[in-house]
Amino acid sequence: MDLLHGTLDTLILKTLAAGRRHGYGIAKAIEDSTEAVVAIEEGSLYPALYRLERKELIEAEWGISELGRRAKFYRITPRGRKALAAQTAEWARFSAALSRLLQTDG
Amino acid sequence: MGILGRFYRKPWKVGVDAEVDEELAFHLEMRTREFVANGLSHDAARREAERRLGNQRTLRTTLAAMGARRDRHLQRTQYMSEFWQDVTFTARQFWKNPGFAAIAILTLALGIGGTTAIFSALYAVVLRPLPLREPDRLFAVGETNPAVLSPMSVGIYVDAEAGTDVFDGLAALQYANYNLADSATPERVIGAKVTANYFDVMGTAPLVGRVFTPSEDQPGADRVAVISNRLWQRRFGGAPLVGREIRLNATGYTVLGIMPASFDLTNGTEELWTPIAFTPERRRMHDEHYLSVYGRLKHGVTPQRAMAQLDAVAARVSRDFASELVATGVKFSMMPFHQQFVGDYRARLFLLMAAVAVVLLIACVNVANLLLARGSARAREIAIRTAIGAGRWRIVRQLLTESVVLGIVAAGAGVLLAYAMVRGVVAWSPPDIPRLEQARVDPLALGFAAFAAIASSILCGIAPALRIAREVQGGLNAIHGGRRGTTGGGRRDRLRAGLITAEVALAIVLLTGAGLLIRSAIALQRVDPGFDPVGVFTARFTLPEQTYADPVREAEMLRRFGEAAQQLPGVTAAAVSSYAAMGSGGGTNGLIPEGADGHDRSHFIQSILRVTTADFFPAMRTPILKGRTFTDVDRATGQRVMIINQTLAARAFPGQDPLGKRIACCEATADGGPAWKIVIGVAGDIRSRGPAVPADPEFYLPWTQVPKDAWNWFRTFYIIARTDGEPARLLSPLRQALARIDPDIALFDVRTMDQRLSGSLATARFNTLLLAMLGGIGLVLAASGIYGVVSYLVSQRTQEIGVRMALGATTTSVVGLILRQSLKPVSLGAALGLLAAVAATRLLAAQLVDVYGVSRTDPLTIALVAATLIAVALVASAVPAKRAAAIDPTTALAAE
Repeated sequence: MDLLHGTLDTLILKTLAAGRRHGYGIAKAIEDSTEAVVAIEEGSLYPALYRLERKELIEAEWGISELGRRAKFYRITPRGRKALAAQTAEWARFSAALSRLLQTDG
Repeated sequence: MGILGRFYRKPWKVGVDAEVDEELAFHLEMRTREFVANGLSHDAARREAERRLGNQRTLRTTLAAMGARRDRHLQRTQYMSEFWQDVTFTARQFWKNPGFAAIAILTLALGIGGTTAIFSALYAVVLRPLPLREPDRLFAVGETNPAVLSPMSVGIYVDAEAGTDVFDGLAALQYANYNLADSATPERVIGAKVTANYFDVMGTAPLVGRVFTPSEDQPGADRVAVISNRLWQRRFGGAPLVGREIRLNATGYTVLGIMPASFDLTNGTEELWTPIAFTPERRRMHDEHYLSVYGRLKHGVTPQRAMAQLDAVAARVSRDFASELVATGVKFSMMPFHQQFVGDYRARLFLLMAAVAVVLLIACVNVANLLLARGSARAREIAIRTAIGAGRWRIVRQLLTESVVLGIVAAGAGVLLAYAMVRGVVAWSPPDIPRLEQARVDPLALGFAAFAAIASSILCGIAPALRIAREVQGGLNAIHGGRRGTTGGGRRDRLRAGLITAEVALAIVLLTGAGLLIRSAIALQRVDPGFDPVGVFTARFTLPEQTYADPVREAEMLRRFGEAAQQLPGVTAAAVSSYAAMGSGGGTNGLIPEGADGHDRSHFIQSILRVTTADFFPAMRTPILKGRTFTDVDRATGQRVMIINQTLAARAFPGQDPLGKRIACCEATADGGPAWKIVIGVAGDIRSRGPAVPADPEFYLPWTQVPKDAWNWFRTFYIIARTDGEPARLLSPLRQALARIDPDIALFDVRTMDQRLSGSLATARFNTLLLAMLGGIGLVLAASGIYGVVSYLVSQRTQEIGVRMALGATTTSVVGLILRQSLKPVSLGAALGLLAAVAATRLLAAQLVDVYGVSRTDPLTIALVAATLIAVALVASAVPAKRAAAIDPTTALAAE
């Protein structure tokens, strides 16, 4: 399933809300939690991360990965949490509307 | 990992390219491992991982660009947030220490407000471009007499105009007074007769209608007028006027055009213009110098080239008219119009600007001192900030932010102050400063205030900030050691001593300037102007050309008015004169003393002509030193006579008795020969242009023997009446006496001689007052600064003093100790200040226009200023020293 425009950002924020992760971890987490229904377009994952960083919705830091080497980790900022809440609510409204539309007869 | 992560923060430290490479490499590595775990071979897994990532090269470029943008953005945000932190922190600090903030802000506001106000005046008068087309090309052209620009004669103007091609026109102007009597109330209007090209040369065009054509600038065709916007609004309410007739000097003139408001260059400039319409006879007159001439240089022509051409004309005129004219050896000079327009005020205002800038500097030093004192009080706080990771630059930035916030708040207060000061300066300044009335705190002045604020806050903040930051960095001992951070303490005291030195030096420079002007003012008070101004009434009146065309009728009118004035009760002497001291008007003539070669310029003496009635000398109480005054013997048909002043006598007949000697001037005899006049008296010198200006050569002629042409030179006269009583009371009887002779003539410019005399000094006096005020402010600021520093030093030495007292030191010795400590920087500052003052007076020699009668390095002034400052410094130090001596030794020792 292709991602709707802007949804990737929301998914990244949602993933990071659970704790800090590196880029691969974010991709993996999204795939895992959607049972691979949502496949991350990896070419757009990293630009999205940099963009979110610039908007100060997430921030990055260097840490030690599970491989024992240096990796860049992302974490959500308070501002990111607010944005996530707003986007989640928006998505809920949108999907509810869509569901109603699709479930009506005729 | 959280702790570790902290240390690795700020990924931009890595460099964006490395960051991108490392991140993508890690990603590929993890994906590959994932696929291997799912059963792919390593190579296949790697390929699959790379495929899923897409075009890596594009991705890297994109990410590197985004990363760079992100870093810039984040740095900016961080900077702004730190700045905001600093600002809010500063605000809280000031809120907690309102006394400190108030004193610092008021001190700076005084300096900023003062500089802004003077800048506004300087801009209005000097710097603001004239509202004329390409004003840089506009020059005043005149004859050289001997070094100053002076009016030109018609003949020479005509020759200069014909003989040059470097100007886009050479225009001539003659000031004239008009009786504008269009309705019930007649009004005297200052106007000018101008050549047809005048407006074009000045670089302006009429708002409505048109200006004169050359054909209207001819005798007989010249009953046309152009009026100024000010007159149009004031007198005619802006109603349509072009084509209508107005009555000037009882004659109808058709209004051709109205000039724009921008051409009202000052409140005092002329308000209407009529054609000058030279008659053929006038065009040939070379020895009546009354024209103001202006030239607009052609594009690309240098003043030097124009001068060369004018010199050629001068040489030709001198040669061609040598045989028939007194005015041999003509020379020209040129001056940028702007320079002539602004005059001495440029120098005066720049001097004030310099003085007020020194006040601002002293204010800065005081605030620097306050900041330094606060820095010591805050050593602990700053040490803590350093300990938790604030870098030195960060600390400096925070301290500088404080002083900039101070500066900005002070600028706000300063601008309010400047508004008030500009109003005050405009209201109280003498009326003759061109364009000063246009001074206001405009956006440019606000910009200047902002600049002054930022510059001064950085100036006063930087030294303390660097010092405090270095100290705290140098040793974090303040965090343990409590009150006294000992490292750098000595150095800091040196900085404080340096501030005292700077303050004393600046105040000395300022006070020397003020002192020189005050001494000049005193010297001017003592100058004998050559007449007794007390009890003398003066006023002017104009005889219109139309009704007084006949010289006999004119002379008769003047004689009658003089006699009528003489007979008024209380009047001891009265005279009618063509020119009075400290008045406007008056022209010069070239005089050739008997025995001198009339064709040699060096024997030719430009002298001010005054035509008077006999009682001029008793009315002014100007002594006749030799010979006699005019009497009835000096008739129109009799021997031509003149009275000369001392200066002219010394110039014309050095070492000889001038009585009975002959001088040729002012006219030629019927056969073209020199018209000799016999010197019958020598009068005392009158300082006609104010007490500061030495007397010019002057000569007096009786009304009965006015040269025929001279009636064209002046139409406005002075009535001068001396009384035992209050001179102002003479106004209404004189008006009645004048009305009985000719009801159409009005007295104007009514002033006592005292008023004229003090008016001539008003600008200098005003400048002196301002500079003295600035000097006073500087002195008070310096004193409070010294007091602050010495108080601080004393508080630092409390224990030491306690020990000394415990060991038997007397109060006197403790006071002496403190005084000696402060005397060192004070005397160093005094020495430097004196050197700077001498250098400044040299450098500013050209600006010190109001220094009169004292040397610019007047030893008395300098000694007084130095003594004053050292005395003030000692008093400012003695107060805290006394306090130190009153310390109870046990308390002081227990303090630790």
